[in-house]
Order: sequence, then C-alpha cells, then structure tokens
Amino acid sequence: MNQILPGNIHFLYPSTIFASHEEWNITTILGSCVAVCFWDPIIKAGAMNHYMLPLWNGQGLASPKYGNIAIKKSVEKMIQIGCRIENIKAKVFGGAEVLNSKNTQFNIGDRNVEIARIVLDELGIPIVSSSTGGKRGRKILFNTATGDVKHKLIKPPEPSEILNNLPPTAILYKNNE
Amino acid sequence: MIRLSDEDLINELKKRFEENKKNLDELTRLNKILTKVNNRLSEAEAMKSHFISNISNEIINPFTSILALSKTILESSKESWKQVISMVALIHSETFNLDFQFANIFAAAKLEAGEIMPEISKIDVCGLIKDVIDSFKYEAKKKNLKILINSEPVSKIQSGLFFVSDYLKIKLILANLLSNAVKFSFTEGVIELEYKLENGSLILSLQDHGQGISPENHDIIFDRFQKLDSGINSFNRGHGLGLSVIKAFTDLLGGEISLKSLPGKGARFIVILPESQGDIEGITFNGNELLFDEE
Repeated sequence: MNQILPGNIHFLYPSTIFASHEEWNITTILGSCVAVCFWDPIIKAGAMNHYMLPLWNGQGLASPKYGNIAIKKSVEKMIQIGCRIENIKAKVFGGAEVLNSKNTQFNIGDRNVEIARIVLDELGIPIVSSSTGGKRGRKILFNTATGDVKHKLIKPPEPSEILNNLPPTAILYKNNE
Repeated sequence: MIRLSDEDLINELKKRFEENKKNLDELTRLNKILTKVNNRLSEAEAMKSHFISNISNEIINPFTSILALSKTILESSKESWKQVISMVALIHSETFNLDFQFANIFAAAKLEAGEIMPEISKIDVCGLIKDVIDSFKYEAKKKNLKILINSEPVSKIQSGLFFVSDYLKIKLILANLLSNAVKFSFTEGVIELEYKLENGSLILSLQDHGQGISPENHDIIFDRFQKLDSGINSFNRGHGLGLSVIKAFTDLLGGEISLKSLPGKGARFIVILPESQGDIEGITFNGNELLFDEE
C-alpha cells in the first residue's frame, strides 16, 4: 500500500530545479548524477536540483544539467522565494559509480560530488548531511516543509540485465556505425 | 641506512626524471584543455552580448514593419486589394518568424532555468509532421523548395502512426530542423524528411541539399547563440538558439541527435527518440521503500 505523504509529489527530471515554500515531496532517481537539497529552516522552504555533469564548458545551453550552474540557480530560486542565504542548509546525494569504469580518476560521479562541495563552500552554505559515492544508485524523497530527506539505495543491475535493457537508442546507434 | 650503488642511484634518478616528465606532459595537456575551455567561455559570453544587441534587428524591426504594413492596409481603398494581399503575405511572414523565434527564446530560457519537463501524451506523428510542414509552406514557397516525406509528396502522407512522447517538444524539434533546412537550401532545392518507428523508437531524419557543414564545426553548432555565418552581411536570420534547444529537448526525452554533413553536400540531421515509458508511476514510493539503506 502506498504511504500517504503530506503535500504534493513532484518528480524531478534530470537538468531541472524545483523550489517551493509550500509543502512538497520532491523525488528523483540518481546514478552518477547528483542532487543537492536546499532547506531554509526559518521560513520552511526548500529546493532541489538534479545535475548530470560537473561543469558547463560553453557547450549547449547553460542549463542546470551542469553542477556549477544548477547549484547557483537553485540558491537564486531560494532567495527569490524569500530565503536568506545565511539560513540555507544543503544536503548532497548521488554521485555513484554505476558503470564500472576502470579509470577511477575520471569517475563522473566523484567529480559531480566534488563540484557540489566546492560551489557550496564558495557560497558559504553548510552541507549538513550527505550520502554519496558507492556503486549503487539512489532514490531520494525530500520534504520541503520539514527538510527531511529519505533515501534508498537501488540494487545494482546484473551485467546481463543491463545488456538486455539497453535503451533502443543505444542499439540503433550501434547498428548505424 | 641502505647503501646504494652508483648504478642504482642513476636508475632511481632516471625513473624520477621520467615520472616528472610524464607529470609535466600531463600538466601541459590539461593546460591546453583549460585554455580551450576558457576561450570557449569567453566566446560564449561575447555571443551573449551579441545576442542582446541583435535583438533590435531581429525583433524590433519586424514589429516596425508589421505596424507600418497594417497601417497602410487600414488606409487602403477597396480597389487596391491585390496590393493588400501582398502586404498581408509580408505581415504573415514577419509574424511567423517572430513567433518561431520567440518559441525558441522562451524554450531556451526555460531550459536554462531548469523549469522544463516532459509532458507526455499519445501523439499522432503524421499529423504533427503535416502541421509543421504546413506552417513552413510559405517560407518554402519563397525559395521554390520541394519537400518530400518518405520520398512521397506532402499530400500523400499516411496517417495512423501513434507514439507516446511530448507533442510540443517534438514539434519544436522538427520545426527547428525544417527551418534550418529551408534557410540553408538553395533555391529550387529538395528537402527530404523521413520518419519511422524502429525498435520502439521514433526516428526523424531531415536531409537538405544546401551548403553543408564542415566536420570541424559539427560540435559547436549545438552551442547556444552559435551561428556559423554571424557576419554583418549574414543573409540568414535567427539567434543561433535552434540547435541548442533541439539538443536539450532530445536529451530531456532520452533521445539522441546526430549529424552527417560535408561542405557542399548538404546536411542530414537524425533524431532518435525512445517511446516514453508511460507516466512516472514507477516512482511512487511504497511504505517499505521509505526505509533507509536496506543493507
């Protein structure tokens, strides 16, 4: 049976930001992506982002697909809805190494987490809790009124499962080449 | 203390020198990348200011001509209806361009604000294609272009292909591709649109026979405000937002876009979109799932 949650549920898509001073349950699924949850305990407002890559390097749109942009824009949104930057606290999730890469130095998950620490430090926002890294994806549920984050680790799929469940685009791409 | 022979010492020094050299090489390589990214960022910034200064040309001027044309129409007599029709055609063309550019500007602004989400519904692919091509009818007519759909004339398009995805986003993707194809085709050219469902994915492919894109530019055309011919005499209007919007939308829908083009050989853009897997019901949280780590 589904648990009844207070407030509405918002599913956060990758490269998007959601902020509200009303009670919302923001949920998302993370692999190597990172989500930073922002919460202001004074006015009980929260925001969350979901970014895929650490830094925007002038490629494509300057969208919250990139950590440096997503974090700054989320904080801007918090300020727009009436938060004061000195009250904002952050929680950082995700950045798993879902694909088994041998080249650990260039692990995208770690770099995503690292950029969150750097940018938050720059902005003077403390990270009050975090769950990052590892080999398993995460499911996150963030309540904007209480600031609570519930998270669950997702079972890593077997390699055969990955092969059988490749997105159709992946298969087509291979055939075309 | 360990006593080292001279030979050991030399070998050790050699090893360290080699390591140093390797590190230096790596540093030089990274520096090169950094310089490249830096240049790209300052270019991006310059293009942004270019964009703002261009707005007067691209938006205010069309409005001025629309106002002037409509005023002339209001003042014209019944006898000059032929002139009125040509003026209405001009107004239509100007407003069509404005409407299309605004759609791109707002899409880009929403994407950059992280406020855009897929709105999934069952869509009639043929109807959508017909709609988009119909909206470019007059633009294509100006250059006497022929548009073929799956090698058939537009009027013969079949109906009855349904696909679960985001109607408005696919529409803007296709409109941007078609707008570029129309823009860069030579007069009396042919534009070939192909669509099919394969392995549960929708494949849209658009081929023009225009001037083509050289391989070194294939990467940068998806950057925002990027126009390959941004000179003052540039014949082609627009802000260079179209392809960056297409790229972001295909990302959002879980798809891919690729480009095959050589200078002088026209360009073929291929968009592959997977069918959306229903709603977001897979995300509903059950009581048991609210526990922390199961381990």
